Amino acid sequence: MWIRIVYWLLIVTFQVLVLNHLDFSAFVIPQIFIILLISMPLGWSKMTQVSAGFGLGILADLFVSTPGIHASACLWLVLLRIGILNTQDIKQQIASKMDYDVKSVGLNSFLYSSTILVFFYHFYIFWIQNIGSLQWSNYVLTSMISSVLAITLIWILQYLTFQHKS
Amino acid sequence: MQRLLAFIEQNVHLILFVVLQAVCGFLMFYLNPYQQATFTHGAAGLTASTNQLTTNVTQYLDLKNQNIKLQDQVADQFRSSSLAAFHFLEDTLTIRDSNRVALFDIVPVQVVYNTANKGENIFVINKGSNHGIKRNMGVISPEGVAGIVLTTSARYSSVMSLLNLNLSLTPNINGTEYYMPIKWENKGVNILRLKGINKLEEIAIGDRVKTGSSTVLFPKGIHIGTITKLTTKPSSQYFDLEINTATDFRKLNYAYVVINKDINPIESLIGNVD
Repeated sequence: MWIRIVYWLLIVTFQVLVLNHLDFSAFVIPQIFIILLISMPLGWSKMTQVSAGFGLGILADLFVSTPGIHASACLWLVLLRIGILNTQDIKQQIASKMDYDVKSVGLNSFLYSSTILVFFYHFYIFWIQNIGSLQWSNYVLTSMISSVLAITLIWILQYLTFQHKS
Repeated sequence: MQRLLAFIEQNVHLILFVVLQAVCGFLMFYLNPYQQATFTHGAAGLTASTNQLTTNVTQYLDLKNQNIKLQDQVADQFRSSSLAAFHFLEDTLTIRDSNRVALFDIVPVQVVYNTANKGENIFVINKGSNHGIKRNMGVISPEGVAGIVLTTSARYSSVMSLLNLNLSLTPNINGTEYYMPIKWENKGVNILRLKGINKLEEIAIGDRVKTGSSTVLFPKGIHIGTITKLTTKPSSQYFDLEINTATDFRKLNYAYVVINKDINPIESLIGNVD
């Protein structure tokens, strides 16, 4: 339990203190804290998952002064995750209340779901942030770059965690 | 009820999701200035579009009432306008008595039944003897002559359409009275015929045919139709005219009954009405 809390705090701190201050571009901000939602334990009830999504989103909003935006995106992400997980054969993992990660569900399943969720999250966030004056080329470019960066970091993080667990 | 409860229990996370999204929506569009401005702008646009749609629908539904009001206005204009000012029915106010009191009055009516596919076509209007309408009164549409009142009941009247084998009118073409009757011969909807016009007469395709002064049912100058065809045989010295009616009888919805206010004294002088 404590290890999980420390892990969550570390990820959020890394997001807030490091990634949110990258100077690549004003818009290229990979949101890797969503790995916490993607890899939520499979034993958690749907109510808990939705609540966790909202809570983490609000926390992220507090640090970047965007009240409601990350919270809304996190809620959608959790709902989409529930939908994706319903299509995967992970009954055994759910019964064992394992985390949703490479080790428990395999590389392919994790890559598949994390890629979709990360892309969705970034496209949603940039859409909401620029709603009303969306420049499509800029929007697609920044969403794609941020998503690819985030996925790369998440996969590295998963690799490190996997090594640690092994 | 149990099913409903089971459904709610099964999807309680969705209910929580919707509630929390509503909270997020509130936070997003209330506390973020940019999103708030966008939302306000979008909401204003949506409101304007909705209002426009509502107005369009309301106006469409009110068209019937507007038509009736317009008819009344046209009737009022007919009664009060001077000869020059009243272009709609052209020369209809030329017939006036010496005290410059209009000889004709009109009653706006709606057509509730109409045929154009028989030999003896009639249409029924929604006003009758209660409104002062009597047999043998002229009926005009906004475009021109439509028919003559045949019978009346208290609230309705039947009108012998111009597309009736029994109806004939004497025309005025280019200011000249012709005493050959214009008749509908059931050779096509909205097509009238006039036979026996001398070839020496200055008549051409496109000339307008109007009512003349040889009838007391219509004011002089009401449009009957337009000449569309002139036919003749080499050995003949007469034209046969084909005239397209001014009134499109397939689209006849509104009309006016023409009341000659001095029909009785005039009739008593001329003996009979055509």
